[in-house]
Amino acid sequence: MTLSILIWLPLAIGLVAAALPPALVGRATAIASVVPLGIAISFLARFKTGQSGLQFVTDRTWISAFGIHYKLGLDGLNVSLVVLTTVLFTASLVWAASREWERPRLFYFWLGLAQSAVLGAFCAQDLFLFVAFFDLMLIPFYFLTGTWGTGDRVRATTKLVIYTLVGSFFMLVAAIATGVLASSANGTNLTFALSALQHLPLSHTSQDWIFLCFAFAFLVKMPLVPFHGWLADAYRSMPIPAVAVFSGVLSKVAAYGFLKIVLPLFPYAAVHYQTLMLLIALVSILWATSLAFTTTNARLVVAYSSIAQLGFIVLGIFSLRPQGGQGALLQMLNHGLVTAPLFFIVAALAARSGGSEDIREMGGLAFRAPVLAALFLIVALATLAMPGSSNFVGEFMILLGVFKAKLAIAVIAFLGVVGAAVYSLRVYIRTMHNPLGPRVQSREISWRDGLAIVPLVVVILALALYPQFGLRRSEQSLKATMAPAEVQEGLSPAAVAYIGAGPTAEYCSSPTPGPSLRGCTP
Amino acid sequence: MAATTFGWLVLLCPIVGTVIIALGYKRLPGRTPGWIATAAIGLSFVCAIVMLVKLLDRPEAHRQLTSSLWNYASSVGVDAKLQILVDPLSVFMVLVVSGVSTLIHLYSVSYMAGDRGYSRFFAYLNYFVFSMLLLLLAGNFLLLIVGWAFVGAASYLLISFWYRRTTATRAGIKAFVINVVGDVGLVLGTFFIFTHTGTLDFLKTFAVAPHVFHHDSTDLVVGCLLLLVGAFAKSAQIPFHTWLPDAMEGPTPVSALIHAATMVTAGVYLIARMHPLFELAPTAADVGAVGGCLTLLIAGTIGLAVTDIKRVIAYSTMSQIGYMIMGVAAGAYSGALFLLMAHAFFKALLFMAAGSLISAMAGNQSLDRMSGFRRALPFTFACFVIGGMALSGLPPFSGWFSKDDILAYLNHRGGGFEIMGIAGYIGAILTAIYTFRMIFRAFFGEPCPEAKELEEGHLAHAEVPTNPQTGEVEDTDVGFPGPEHHIAEREWPMKIAMGALAALATVGGFLQIPGVDDAIRRFLAPSFATSRLAAAAPSTGADWIGLVIGAAIAVTGVAVAYRIWVLAPGTAAVVRERFAPLYRLFVNKWYFDELIDLAIVRPVAWFGQVTDTVLDRDLTTSVTTGGTVSVVDALSAAVRRAQTGFLRYYVALMLLGISGVVIYFLVSS
Amino acid sequence: MIPVPIPIVAHLAAHVAAHHIKGPPVDWSALSPFVVLAGGALLVLLVGLLASAVARERIVPALTVLTLAVSIAFEITRFHHPEASIISGALQVDDLALILDLVFAISGIAAVILSAREPAAAQAGHGEYHALLLFSVLGMAVLVSAQNLVTLFIGIELLSIPLYILCAADSRRATSLESGLKYLVIGSVGSATLLYGLALIYGATGSTDFAGIANAVSGNSVQSGGLLSDPLLLTGIGLSVVGFAFKASVAPFHQWTPDVYEGAPTPITAFMATATKAAAIGIFLRFFDVAVIGAQGTWAPLLATLATITIIVGNVGALGQSSMKRILAYSGVAQAGYMLAGVVIGTKLGIDATVFYIVTYLPVNIAAFAVIVARQRQRAAGGDDISALAGLGARQPWLAWPMTIAMLSLAGIPGTVGFIGKLYLIRALVAGDYTWLAVVIVIGSMISLGYYLRVVATMWMSSPAQEPAAARAAVGARPAIAGGSPEADAADAGGWPRPDGAVANAEIAVLAVLFGAAGVVFGIIPSPLLRLVAHAGRSITGIF
Repeated sequence: MTLSILIWLPLAIGLVAAALPPALVGRATAIASVVPLGIAISFLARFKTGQSGLQFVTDRTWISAFGIHYKLGLDGLNVSLVVLTTVLFTASLVWAASREWERPRLFYFWLGLAQSAVLGAFCAQDLFLFVAFFDLMLIPFYFLTGTWGTGDRVRATTKLVIYTLVGSFFMLVAAIATGVLASSANGTNLTFALSALQHLPLSHTSQDWIFLCFAFAFLVKMPLVPFHGWLADAYRSMPIPAVAVFSGVLSKVAAYGFLKIVLPLFPYAAVHYQTLMLLIALVSILWATSLAFTTTNARLVVAYSSIAQLGFIVLGIFSLRPQGGQGALLQMLNHGLVTAPLFFIVAALAARSGGSEDIREMGGLAFRAPVLAALFLIVALATLAMPGSSNFVGEFMILLGVFKAKLAIAVIAFLGVVGAAVYSLRVYIRTMHNPLGPRVQSREISWRDGLAIVPLVVVILALALYPQFGLRRSEQSLKATMAPAEVQEGLSPAAVAYIGAGPTAEYCSSPTPGPSLRGCTP
Repeated sequence: MAATTFGWLVLLCPIVGTVIIALGYKRLPGRTPGWIATAAIGLSFVCAIVMLVKLLDRPEAHRQLTSSLWNYASSVGVDAKLQILVDPLSVFMVLVVSGVSTLIHLYSVSYMAGDRGYSRFFAYLNYFVFSMLLLLLAGNFLLLIVGWAFVGAASYLLISFWYRRTTATRAGIKAFVINVVGDVGLVLGTFFIFTHTGTLDFLKTFAVAPHVFHHDSTDLVVGCLLLLVGAFAKSAQIPFHTWLPDAMEGPTPVSALIHAATMVTAGVYLIARMHPLFELAPTAADVGAVGGCLTLLIAGTIGLAVTDIKRVIAYSTMSQIGYMIMGVAAGAYSGALFLLMAHAFFKALLFMAAGSLISAMAGNQSLDRMSGFRRALPFTFACFVIGGMALSGLPPFSGWFSKDDILAYLNHRGGGFEIMGIAGYIGAILTAIYTFRMIFRAFFGEPCPEAKELEEGHLAHAEVPTNPQTGEVEDTDVGFPGPEHHIAEREWPMKIAMGALAALATVGGFLQIPGVDDAIRRFLAPSFATSRLAAAAPSTGADWIGLVIGAAIAVTGVAVAYRIWVLAPGTAAVVRERFAPLYRLFVNKWYFDELIDLAIVRPVAWFGQVTDTVLDRDLTTSVTTGGTVSVVDALSAAVRRAQTGFLRYYVALMLLGISGVVIYFLVSS
Repeated sequence: MIPVPIPIVAHLAAHVAAHHIKGPPVDWSALSPFVVLAGGALLVLLVGLLASAVARERIVPALTVLTLAVSIAFEITRFHHPEASIISGALQVDDLALILDLVFAISGIAAVILSAREPAAAQAGHGEYHALLLFSVLGMAVLVSAQNLVTLFIGIELLSIPLYILCAADSRRATSLESGLKYLVIGSVGSATLLYGLALIYGATGSTDFAGIANAVSGNSVQSGGLLSDPLLLTGIGLSVVGFAFKASVAPFHQWTPDVYEGAPTPITAFMATATKAAAIGIFLRFFDVAVIGAQGTWAPLLATLATITIIVGNVGALGQSSMKRILAYSGVAQAGYMLAGVVIGTKLGIDATVFYIVTYLPVNIAAFAVIVARQRQRAAGGDDISALAGLGARQPWLAWPMTIAMLSLAGIPGTVGFIGKLYLIRALVAGDYTWLAVVIVIGSMISLGYYLRVVATMWMSSPAQEPAAARAAVGARPAIAGGSPEADAADAGGWPRPDGAVANAEIAVLAVLFGAAGVVFGIIPSPLLRLVAHAGRSITGIF
């Protein structure tokens, strides 16, 4: 069972389902989507904890002319994210299957392609392959938003694509430059394999501008302030299943990119721009939090809260401390798990308050819908990272890392923690509690929606009991991926041991921490 | 089985209760949810007793046991297990909490009957007890924080239990947010400590602390101060107290359980638990003591002025906890914990009695409307008086022994602490006055209409239910108080609960009679074995002197109250006139709400608006996005304008281009 | 205008003959493509004179396609042979030339297929129309294998003059005539400039032969020393830059492009957009990366600047357009800029990248134009207007998909061949220390999203209802509600103007789908194409 099967299966399902009569496509796709989920879980089960190397590697030459390989693999960083992806897509498909979509064949085809692209981006172990998947991810959402969206959908989707592709194009140049410069500087053949690149040091100047290109691409994708211009429109007009996976996993691909590519490949730049990145993250947290205070559109509150969450994740990554990194990884998982059900719930709320997503028109919904209220409450508390939720453990470790790196920033970041409590509860109270809204009729959640939401909530609760689940597998890989930066920073001599131990189990001899050191000096 | 096993069982029972009630919310008939909940807590109380016995079997030196189930979050240096710590301190607290909770559950079985959210109420209540016990048994910082936040959440859920009252939801979010601030303080404090000790485990931390921190080192002081923020927010100490009075929006049993007996005392427990750190950072400890001292005075003064009976009791809770905080911070651990226990008894009792009284008033809580219930509610009256005497520290009630134990310690310790001692006595007299003010106003004098009605054997019911705060008319459907009310005189479960507590409030003090039996001090000794301050306890003689003074003061206070509200009614009005500004200050609660609103709430809201409009819309959207777009559009327009379609223009432009190119080459030649 | 080609043919025949009579050894196999094209052209011309309509309307196109196919066959046999220099070094047949010849031939075939049932062909006379097309292809072939200034100029003229006529072929349509005229006038200015340039270069170096010029310029031959600062030479180079720039529609010499593209019969536009551009870039490669490579230090900055201007102008120009043909014209300008950037590098890698880019550019453009032709036939008026594409995705997916792929590929989205092309180009630029030019390309691509996505959005995200009612009425289509599923609707209510509409479009749809599919397949499996161009640079690298 190779990773290729896992990656391409969703697309295949989409294509096959397109042959079915329109009425059946949805249910068929939803049911079939359990297979990739199962495969992903089987990978998780077979994953060997405690080693930092790649597992289940597939490595074929794709474009020999450029030394580009079709190389896939799992390590501690991406294994749980892969599972998360399949989980969220299955949930979205289940949610979508219980509704009518015009031109269903195309709709589910695009969703299938999207899942394949995201999985590919997570599994890619070749820089160029990653870039290709990263850009490809966007196309399905372009069509999903533009065709099945609401409101001024074409404008929104165009904005979304242009914003994100602008970033991606810069990343394309940066990626090619990485390969070309690294190989030419070290007189090796052109290669884009991450494992190889890790041992081909780049000059500081090239690291700097390449880092900025990657950072730009990733920050737009997440998005963080001030690159979030596309978010509001896009999130508002995306169809619910699309937006659930978009904010659930696509933003994580960017965060994952920082961990997987930027830190090990450009440690000098990572240290050089650490403060800048931390500040961007910090500003995003405060910015998004205060937006979430003021907006009255329930869906936008969720959207802004995910900006804040991603701000925390970036904080963790650029604390350049293992605690921060581990926290960030865990938080990626958690955020994905809470944001998707939140969007489903928002949809349910809108359905009960005359189709409006404005919280001023809601209120008193808990009244005849205790189950819905309970689900919402659990998810909301998880979102605000209440201690006892896995989200809290994530934030705890993130902030611990930042605390060690830059105390002041950590202290200010805590404002975001308090803010989260305010806006999450604000939405919960304005929708579920308070006197009954004007056009509200309180209905219990339908079993179909429950089918999509309840499993996710169960997972949230399970993780809350055992957050270690998210931390166990990633520890080794994470230390390895952070090591170059740590050494660069002259932090922990212990980290030297991990250099190159990497996402790629290639240890190297007698590393000498030096300015030009990436991985180790060959 | 080991003591720790029962520790886990103590935790298990309530959470199981929660799950059962929550899942069965549709099927469980009538009062069964209430009974299930009560049984669950009762069971965990039994487990707690067994745990106590098991612990007492062990030699003094080995009474600190830990047990962990699995790794909660242990990676890259963080070492958090799912771990409980069973030692005399936690056992003591667990006993108090589970015991009082059982009685309050019993009380609620009747009191909440008729509310549409009956099973929801008990699910929440059990969840709260679970959280509280988790907080107490937690064996490391992370788990402590978890319990800490859980009780906060439970408190939120129960404050806004009647969730379609906007007053209730507002009070709920206020409480929750202030508690989150407390959590943040706790987490940050943990960071400061963890970065030095490198462990989250309590015992390990206390073991290494003396070696990694030198006396009063900045980091430790800052850390402890942040822990204090957590403690103050949870225990409603100034300036984090504003949520507690509003929390009275919750049903009365909730006020009794969470906002009097258990949760609000968590701060006291925290400081006691952290005493090795606080003794290393005396500066922080002193700050805590001063904070407690201020709170007990200010709360006392407000208690004199407000007329909502539940809020009077709430302020008295604040002031009592002020005593405890002052005590633990200063080192009078056993005294403070003793008061904590006693307070749990008599304050829960007072709230239950008040609840019964409010039921008799058909939901109205204002002292101005109540009077002369003495004959109408004899049992309630008795309970209220017992509770009141205990609260004001009249001998031989539990309040007397406990509170004056603390004050005696302060005076004995000296070095500026006498001042706090004196402040404590001032507080004591205030306590006595406002307590008996309640009693005299509610139970003496001419019976009010409701009282009369009740004497004729008919429980008053408001025709139109209204919100006592806003007076707006309410439904009695889900999310509002139920239509019917219940008084202790007619409901045996309420009677039993109140009777038991009355007994405890009376005899509870005998647990620690100076010189006779220092049961509590001796029991807790192992937890404070390393403590320097605990050792420096005053002599029995000093204790007794303190007790005598305390008794005298309490009696004076009662006398004053009797003079003002019974002998010469109307004196109150005169006093109010004479000290008008002071009265305004008190009745407006020293304007804390207004200050906080001005200093924090408004600025934040303003910042939100600015971010939304100025920063986000104008700056980000128009400048960055709009800017780029407009540049491109301008270029595009220029290109299209050049595209006239006339050959002559094209040729002209070409010639320009040609000459440009040629010139370039000529120049570069 | 019909008689015009005759002298050309004569001229060519004379030219070829001249070399025969001298009787140097001729490598016939290398020469074969040229012979085939010339012969085929004459044959087609003759067959076109036949009376029978069948002969004119069926056989002539068939013959043309056959000719091109045969030439392709001959070219393929020559692949990866050592480059042969034929006709005493006047022409050189090497991989670079062969690959470009393939491009010309394929684009020619596509043009022929698109022209079937086009009014243009009928009005120009099928024989002449197709013969001119073949002559133009021949001219391009000559141009890209030119080894000296003379053949270079002959090539350019031979490819241009037929195009002047073809642009005006739809002689009933004023716009067609206008475009032909514009092209003629401006093209002549360009040719004149070029001629001056070539003359000056000859004067400076005393050699018409590329190799000779190269030696002279790089100063490693005896008689001439530091020519690099010789105004004569440099002016010459400058003027020839302009000459080529015209053909490649490089800004600021691009202005004829939108007008001519819009006016010309769409099949011819398609042909020009792909083949002519390829030829022009091809001669750029030959001339700058071979003949005057020595002066790279001088011309590279200028070309880089021109490339930048072209990329910006082309992309922003396309933004506000409503006619698909104009949009593609501007996008073509921008693409020329990208290719020019490849020329600037002047390394083997650069040449490979450029050639590969040309190759990737061919299929998607053809696909796009094919869809436009189809729409033009389905709509009475404004068939090339972007609004004509509204709701195409729902009604005629087999037209919408190729167009979508074309747009995404031109924008450089992964999974399409255009992405690989950009990748190759950027890689070459970075390796050649022109990273900033790579960034310019990227910025250009960003702007281009503005109009490429607009097209896609129109097809998939705007409802067919937005199609002007007038047009629908004009083409007398049945109401859109006829039939069940949208796919089914597309067949009958898709707005076919004539009962035989389906037939009329069958071959176009097939063409579009084929080339669109190619755009994706080679995007996912680019290696075959890459192997094809792998040696394009080698034939030249001998020089440096």
